[in-house]
Amino acid sequence: MKSYVGKQITLFQFIAIISGSQVSVAVLSLPKRLAEAADTDGWIALIIGWGLSLIAGLSIVHIMKFHPNGNLFDLLSEYIGKWAGKLAALLFALYFLYLMYDGLVRTILVTKTWLLPTTQSFILMPLLLIPAYSIVRHGIRNVARYAELVIWMSLWIPIIYLFTLKHAHWLYLLPIVKNGWMPVLAAVKSTIYPMLGMVEIFVIYPHLKYKQYAGKGIVIANSITALLYLFVTLTCYVYFSPEENKLYNDPVISVLKSIEFKFIERIEVPFIAFYLFIFSLIWVPTIYLVSFCTAWLFKQDSIIVPLRVLIISIAIGTYFYFPTYNVSTYLANTLNSVGFIAEYIFPICMLSFLWLSKLWRKERSSP
Amino acid sequence: MPDYKTEQNKPHSDCISSDLQHNLAKIQQLFTETPDMITRHLTIKQSGRQAVLIYIDGLNDKAAINDDVLRPLQQELGEDSQEIAVTVGHVGHLSSWEQAELAFFQGNSLLFIDGEEQAYALDTKGWPQRNIEDPQLESSLKGAHQGFLESGDLNIALIRRYIPHRGLKIKRIMVGERGRTIVSIMYIEDIANEKYMAELERRIRQIKVDAIINTGELCEFIEDNPFSLFPQLITTERPDTTASQLLQGRCAVVVDRSPNVLIAPVTFMSFFQNIDDYSSRWTIATFLRLLRMFAFITAAFLPAIYISVVSYHFEIIPLKLLLTLGESRGQVPFPPFVEAILMETTLELLREAGIRLPAPVGQTVGIVGGIVIGQAVVQAGLISNVMVIVVAFTAISSFILPNYDMVAAVRLIRFILMILASMFGFVGLVIGFMTMFGHIIALKSLGTSYGSPIAPVRLADLKDTLIRVPLWLMDKRPLSTAPKQSKRQRQSRVQGDEE
Repeated sequence: MKSYVGKQITLFQFIAIISGSQVSVAVLSLPKRLAEAADTDGWIALIIGWGLSLIAGLSIVHIMKFHPNGNLFDLLSEYIGKWAGKLAALLFALYFLYLMYDGLVRTILVTKTWLLPTTQSFILMPLLLIPAYSIVRHGIRNVARYAELVIWMSLWIPIIYLFTLKHAHWLYLLPIVKNGWMPVLAAVKSTIYPMLGMVEIFVIYPHLKYKQYAGKGIVIANSITALLYLFVTLTCYVYFSPEENKLYNDPVISVLKSIEFKFIERIEVPFIAFYLFIFSLIWVPTIYLVSFCTAWLFKQDSIIVPLRVLIISIAIGTYFYFPTYNVSTYLANTLNSVGFIAEYIFPICMLSFLWLSKLWRKERSSP
Repeated sequence: MPDYKTEQNKPHSDCISSDLQHNLAKIQQLFTETPDMITRHLTIKQSGRQAVLIYIDGLNDKAAINDDVLRPLQQELGEDSQEIAVTVGHVGHLSSWEQAELAFFQGNSLLFIDGEEQAYALDTKGWPQRNIEDPQLESSLKGAHQGFLESGDLNIALIRRYIPHRGLKIKRIMVGERGRTIVSIMYIEDIANEKYMAELERRIRQIKVDAIINTGELCEFIEDNPFSLFPQLITTERPDTTASQLLQGRCAVVVDRSPNVLIAPVTFMSFFQNIDDYSSRWTIATFLRLLRMFAFITAAFLPAIYISVVSYHFEIIPLKLLLTLGESRGQVPFPPFVEAILMETTLELLREAGIRLPAPVGQTVGIVGGIVIGQAVVQAGLISNVMVIVVAFTAISSFILPNYDMVAAVRLIRFILMILASMFGFVGLVIGFMTMFGHIIALKSLGTSYGSPIAPVRLADLKDTLIRVPLWLMDKRPLSTAPKQSKRQRQSRVQGDEE
């Protein structure tokens, strides 16, 4: 059993990791995806998606209460068997790898589009991995502090978005539920990808200092994410006309074009550069998690070896292959389904199984 | 046993003999080719015994030897007592040659008396010593004008003047096989966390070197991450700063013969504090703190931002400014990066030249550098006007920072960021920023978090970092030092109707 003493994280750091992973790159295309499915009613779908993610998140926390001093793999090893723990570690390592790769690819594609069109992807990839390595190699605590710091540093961003409301047309939102409820329900599907990241609790839960607040933590984290999405989506919907919403790839960035200051001509350029901090909140924790799962699988105490192998192989791999925008969209769509299974279906099934087995054990022990 | 110890330096475990002739022979054998050693043969009037006094010329106070040692020994008449009749402050009893040798070279004079199996170490130290002056690097407008000297004992005395309390403890450790430097760890017993004290002591005891010449050397041996650009321990030359840090729960390390004192553990934000902050009005102190943070960011990032804006993201510059900039840049044959490197290197050269030269000539360097080079280089069309402004602004910003070690770190970071910005524009800048942040939050100072109170966030500590709240509100010691007593004052102001 690994010891978690001295590697504890605070509740706010916990919230920062979860919320940061959820927001990260997903926020850029969210208004467009919602608009495609439900027009300007997409924001209603967000509220439903928030409810769903709360259920999933709370069941993850409940699962972890069965084994508070270990992670999911320790729990599975104890309840089902060693092989189940190993299988889960492997599957989750692959899932985190997927999340991480998707995040990195999106970041690089966005960077290339807006900032450095001529720089090759295989140069940008190692560039992004350098800070990630320097943060991750010091362990979960450092990752948590980094996430916390980025959240504090980003607090001013929503204020800038308020400037765009000068050009708002609130009538665009009316009538509410103009095409009936079906499109709204269909749009709920698009809220799954932006809410992914809760599953990180499975691994970081034992590090949490005050475990009794974990439930509160996930509610706060999901609510912050949902509120932010709601704010950004509504901003885009009242700024762009309903038709324009479907045209722009990254409406969250394009909307900034309306802001003009005397001293700076195009504000979105420094913004995208700053967004790299927010984007990093998906790949920095997941790089740690992939390394951790691999280390757990091979019963190693230190994540350094898996971390180095991971970083070097991604850096080299990018030289030979890098996804295009279309492939990346396909990756994200698949991640939507894979993530739904991993973060919504699996926790609920797992929780039911644990409850049933607890009940069964109680019945067997009682005369 | 470390192998760099020479044969001659092996400890002399043999004891001091009771035979004076034997001791004299031993002295001759030990201290060969030591022409500055003075040997005085004398007869002690009190007991009529033969004695020998040896000392090093130049490390001793001659008046003290004549008045306090020789005169009483040769003139005193009276009861035969155990004590020898000298009037110096401290008399040590030494039984081995190893102790005797150490005491001798530390400036004590040694008295050997026929028939006694010990030598007396008489505290007649008196080496060339400068007067107490205003510190050079850490000048202060309102603070005391006393800086540390090159004597550990005097430095400790200077600190003790601020904290006359029995809680102030001193732990002495001898460092260096040849240098034999006395290193004293000072801490306030009921405030400082003994965990850090023990860690500091363990690290200092581990040092196995020939000699420690300066506090900086000691610092390099004990800091947590020697590969980092950032200083992880503060060296200060002010007793008032040291006392204030001790009262906050930190430890101070006084290295004998060095005019600097080491403070540990510290945080990144400690490097932006100045003792003057506490004697200025809190509003102006807060303003200065924020100004320093701004200056740190400017000094590190401004040339890099200029490079990335001009070479990658010129679309963000407003049109009118772009035209002016284009006009100025149009003459210049180099890319912005080369331009910036040229000017920054010139600046660093001027700065170093200014330090090495005597003060009157140093000022000329500033004039020649600033006006002649700055003006001429623009007129010759080698560098653009804007670049000169950027470099000047950067230089001024870096002079504001109160800590020299942090300024040195900023100078190097600036060059790294300039290279990154020239290759990747804003992306490089953000990556550099991210790596720097990741590095700072991972750093430790004596095992404590260097990034505190920003990361990990300790809201209570913010009152003395970015802002400085009024002193009467700072009733708790900083959490980052994990003090044993966190409360540092009671309500010190009369409130409401009480007056």
